[in-house]
Amino acid sequence: MKRLMEMFLRRLGSLLATLVVMSFVIFLLVEIMPGDVAQMILGQSATEEAVAALREARGLNDPLLERYGRWISGVVVGDLGDSIYMQGVSINSILWRKVGHSIILAMTAFIIFVPLSIFFGVLAGVKEKKPTDSIISFFGLATMALPEFVSGVILITVFAVQLKWFPIVSVIPIGESIWQNLNIVVLPALSITLVMFGYISRMQRSSMISVMNSDYIRAATLKGMPRRYVIFRHALKNAMLPTITIIGMNMGWLFGGLVVVETLFGFPGMGSLLMTAIKTRDVPLIEACVLLITVIYSVSTMITDIMYSYLNPRIRYQGGQK
Amino acid sequence: MKYFFYQLKKSPLAMVGIAIIVFWLIAAFAGPSMISFTHTEMDSMNQMVAPGEYGHVLGTDSLGRDILSRIVYGSRSILTVALLTSIFSTVVGILLGFSAGYFGGRLDTAFLRGMDILMAIPPLVLSMVILGILGDSSIASLTIIVSIAFVPATARVSRGVLLTEKSQEYVSAARIRGENHLYIMFVEILPNTMGPIIVEATARFAYSIMMVASLGFLGVGLQPPTPDWGMMVIENKPIIAQAPWAVLFPALAIASLVIAISIFSDFVSKVLIHER
Repeated sequence: MKRLMEMFLRRLGSLLATLVVMSFVIFLLVEIMPGDVAQMILGQSATEEAVAALREARGLNDPLLERYGRWISGVVVGDLGDSIYMQGVSINSILWRKVGHSIILAMTAFIIFVPLSIFFGVLAGVKEKKPTDSIISFFGLATMALPEFVSGVILITVFAVQLKWFPIVSVIPIGESIWQNLNIVVLPALSITLVMFGYISRMQRSSMISVMNSDYIRAATLKGMPRRYVIFRHALKNAMLPTITIIGMNMGWLFGGLVVVETLFGFPGMGSLLMTAIKTRDVPLIEACVLLITVIYSVSTMITDIMYSYLNPRIRYQGGQK
Repeated sequence: MKYFFYQLKKSPLAMVGIAIIVFWLIAAFAGPSMISFTHTEMDSMNQMVAPGEYGHVLGTDSLGRDILSRIVYGSRSILTVALLTSIFSTVVGILLGFSAGYFGGRLDTAFLRGMDILMAIPPLVLSMVILGILGDSSIASLTIIVSIAFVPATARVSRGVLLTEKSQEYVSAARIRGENHLYIMFVEILPNTMGPIIVEATARFAYSIMMVASLGFLGVGLQPPTPDWGMMVIENKPIIAQAPWAVLFPALAIASLVIAISIFSDFVSKVLIHER
């Protein structure tokens, strides 16, 4: 436990370091954007003096480091600044609602794809080289290879256009919350599920195969234990380890996927917000969204690593030294 | 190579995969000359024509543009960018990963830290933000930026395979012979690591297609009038209820190509791992 704590602190430290560097990189990246922020706020017809005055007032003429310092110190106390495109609306008032929507979407997808892909991965692994395995494996390969919007488009054609079970676009009517419109989450969540299913079930399958061929499983089988007991009590415990890593590693894809899926369905989440921010060249909003995605992504990677070493006694007792 | 074809004969799935890839290559090279419509021609009398009608084999979109010719033209750009990206990111990955792994020490630590930082942003988000900020993507900018997003992955793979080879005896033999570092890295070690690197590169090719298609879909890929498969999907999504073909065919084009390359890459890895 002490080693785990030590590892946790070390990881936390490197996480913070990464985030500091990353925030600077994000800031620089958006700074190189062609075009003048002040000009954008005032529009093309603004006089040169007005633009110059606004640049001065917003501190755009200050040295780079000073501006970074101002931005990052705001971020640390939770002030993300104001949106430029939606004239002076504070980002905090737009961002968090959308983040909430995205989290609901991601969690729904997560709840569907994790058990589903583990179950089918185990099934394929246990029935290695039989027709069941071939079907599951090919389906996994096919769905994994499809970008989210391709599987999404197929889902829309089937379930929204033909069967009319779900709406084509995921819009929340004004004045209602997402909880009254949960049917808009289903198709986006399913598109994410399809992509994730391939990765995770394939991983689960191959680790299941290698575990099922190990000596201790053979011993358990020879002892006369029921097969179901051997699979779920003995094999699954060890076969889950690589799967957990792969789930964690794919969190990055999940966030990239969110942007795509939300754009496809017009789902009002963080991904489509970032897309709008890029299209409208809304500098502070881009910075806020990218920073937030980075934070969520890095934290989930860290949690995966810690969970992995907690679940794997070989690493737990040796303090992370393989 | 002989072994490759021997294995290929036994694997019908891999044959189908290669056939689809060859089909798209031919379409990209010779396709445009075989179709009676051009990709920008707007047939204003025949908007949203169903597949097969009025000579439009795959129908038309809301502007009356022929879907088939747009898909065929689109295959050129996506194949070019994806091929360049996978080559570029693999080569840069080898250079970075090899030098970090070979020299070790501080260089290696700096390398790992740097890659950690690059990996802190999901690749799609990274390239989409940079491309969106720069605006006006071209084949060159698309290739460079997607490659940058991929380099952490390719460099880590290269570093990994180098580390397993580094302790081999032939490496110390070369060192004692007094060969210089570059010679050892690229003449002695590189040929022995080609297997995993080729596997990684073919997988990277499939990722590149997905990535380029997704970027096009998000509207930060190649700009009109160049037809782009991903962009065709989002452009025509508003008319999906009236003209599903305008969305489905480009989507299927992406699907077939990516699945074919994945099957191929799976097959390559099976063959190369068996060979050892």
